[in-house]
Amino acid sequence: MKTEDQRVAVRPLLEAHDLRVYFGGGKAPLKAVDGVSLAIARGETVGLVGESGCGKTTLGRALMRLEDSTGGRIVFDGVDMTGAAGRRLRTFRRRVQMIFQDPHGALNPRMSVGAALDEVLAVARGLPARERRRRTVELLEAVGLEGAYAGRYPHEFSGGQRQRIVIARALAVEPEVLIADEPVSALDVSVQVQILNLLRELRRRFNLAMLFIAHDLAVVRYMCERIMVMYYGRIVEEGPAEAVYSAPEHPYTRALLSAVPDLDASLEGRRRNRIILKGEVPTLGERITGCPFHPRCPWRRARCVEEEPALRERSAGRRVACHFAGELGDDAEPEREVK
Amino acid sequence: MALSEELLRVEDLRVYFSTERGLVRAVDGVGFVLPKGATYALVGESGCGKSVTALALARLVDEPPGYYAGGRVLLRGRNVLEMEEGELRRLRGNEISYVFQEPAVSLNPVFRIGYQLAEAIRLHRRGVNVREEVLALLKMVGLPDAESKMKEYPHRLSGGMQQRVMIAMALACRPAVLVADEPTTALDVTIQAQILELLARLQRELGMAVLLITHNLGLVADLAERLLVMYAGRIVEAGPTLDLLRGPRHPYTRGLLAAVPRLRSVGGEVRGIRGSVPNPLRLPEGCKFHPRCPFASDICRRVEPEDEWDGERVVRCHRWREI
Repeated sequence: MKTEDQRVAVRPLLEAHDLRVYFGGGKAPLKAVDGVSLAIARGETVGLVGESGCGKTTLGRALMRLEDSTGGRIVFDGVDMTGAAGRRLRTFRRRVQMIFQDPHGALNPRMSVGAALDEVLAVARGLPARERRRRTVELLEAVGLEGAYAGRYPHEFSGGQRQRIVIARALAVEPEVLIADEPVSALDVSVQVQILNLLRELRRRFNLAMLFIAHDLAVVRYMCERIMVMYYGRIVEEGPAEAVYSAPEHPYTRALLSAVPDLDASLEGRRRNRIILKGEVPTLGERITGCPFHPRCPWRRARCVEEEPALRERSAGRRVACHFAGELGDDAEPEREVK
Repeated sequence: MALSEELLRVEDLRVYFSTERGLVRAVDGVGFVLPKGATYALVGESGCGKSVTALALARLVDEPPGYYAGGRVLLRGRNVLEMEEGELRRLRGNEISYVFQEPAVSLNPVFRIGYQLAEAIRLHRRGVNVREEVLALLKMVGLPDAESKMKEYPHRLSGGMQQRVMIAMALACRPAVLVADEPTTALDVTIQAQILELLARLQRELGMAVLLITHNLGLVADLAERLLVMYAGRIVEAGPTLDLLRGPRHPYTRGLLAAVPRLRSVGGEVRGIRGSVPNPLRLPEGCKFHPRCPFASDICRRVEPEDEWDGERVVRCHRWREI
């Protein structure tokens, strides 16, 4: 078992540098991803948290080159993949796999589970038939299903089982990076944890680098060592999960954390200082000057309206994009509006 | 609780569906009493029957394929399930109203929201200035800039705004009971918080009873005074919210609580409940939870447990005292 320090010291497997994904050209493109940098090492899970439309799914897709980037670089295992094409791109896409929220749409209803896995093993790995049959059973067992299920069709499985099949298919090509986009949000609570535990086990077993995209902060906490908080196409705060959750520095992270129903706090009868944000989650088409969070920020000051804050290093591995990070104090002042 | 005035009483409610593939007993013997002005939460996973229970309170289940196979729903002593059309219409507008998960589906896309609200008011209340009432309602639900928003079509509003409009429509008739079925599930976390705060405030100000239907246990702790946990068409456990959450008795409630990842949890592995929610067409014999229950014994496989009361708490489990 590696310690945290060793893990951080190794070279990252997947990196993005100042990545930008703009939609629609011209003077006013939609900036879905606007200057995001990240690095994920083998065996590490980085959480990407944000609300709808913040650009987190686009970022995930851009990382495996399913979206064209407008600027910045993607580096895999030390090699620049930004402009890769042809066989290099296909090889890269095999080493980085993605799983999605909806396991229903992801599986072909006319294809038995065994046939779906067999197809991947034949096309992407070029294995002979006997080898494919053996691997199919191995894969199903790796995700906690019986090998005998290979002959069944997607509709014969529950939502949780289908997500297991989707994971098995992603593993079939022996990827090194797994991008999981809201992998449990469509599942029942009692089943969610089964899938989360499966992902934790597979991460250990295959030493996967994982980007875990989700809106559920408790789920992200359970899965990730490091987290990044995204708002309006930008990373507004990142750091070790422990530190970010116990002492969030960006006002948005604070609001997000305080908005989550906290069962433990309720059970202990603790009253929480909840920050209820006014206003709406911005759409990417909106023009916001200065700090993108300023229209909703309870701590907003004049400077925030005029000047966009850079993502600044606050301590080792901890970066925050707020002019007043570290100076906010505990209560939302002075402009907190309570309706 | 003994002193509070009873508003809604559900007794042994059974709602079944005839489908091509067989009979689905979606709700099979549900009972509870909702006092005036109280907030209760009905909690469970998909297919447990919580939404069908909610719809049955105003006899809104589609018949066919659904039918009421037994039991009573008494609102102020009158059985909703035996009401005639006219009486039902008055009930639905004036005494029970609903807020659902997807506001975009519930709002009519071709009418401006002010018009839709005005319709709701005209239908249910006489002798009020409709325009003033529309504005008052929109302000009450915290819709900023109500004057101009009432002229908008639904798609021009965000999900959170649409849900505020839905709540305004539900309140147009000043209902005695508001049934909120997963009212914040489709919304972003920060918007969820706004809507929950709004519901809590309105409940206090208007003194209506609220039945909150949700799968999210974290949500109910702060809002509901009593919790009803449903599984496979039955209420398997009920009690005062904090009491129940601090000391769950039914193995399903225990499993569900253990399965929720906590914001503050560090390190340790959370365990889920083995297996998955049962297929409603093929419910097991005996206790419906026994195939997933780590404590199941012979009696659990054969005999379905009945309500066992203990003070304000009730549980349906043969073995809760031993485990």
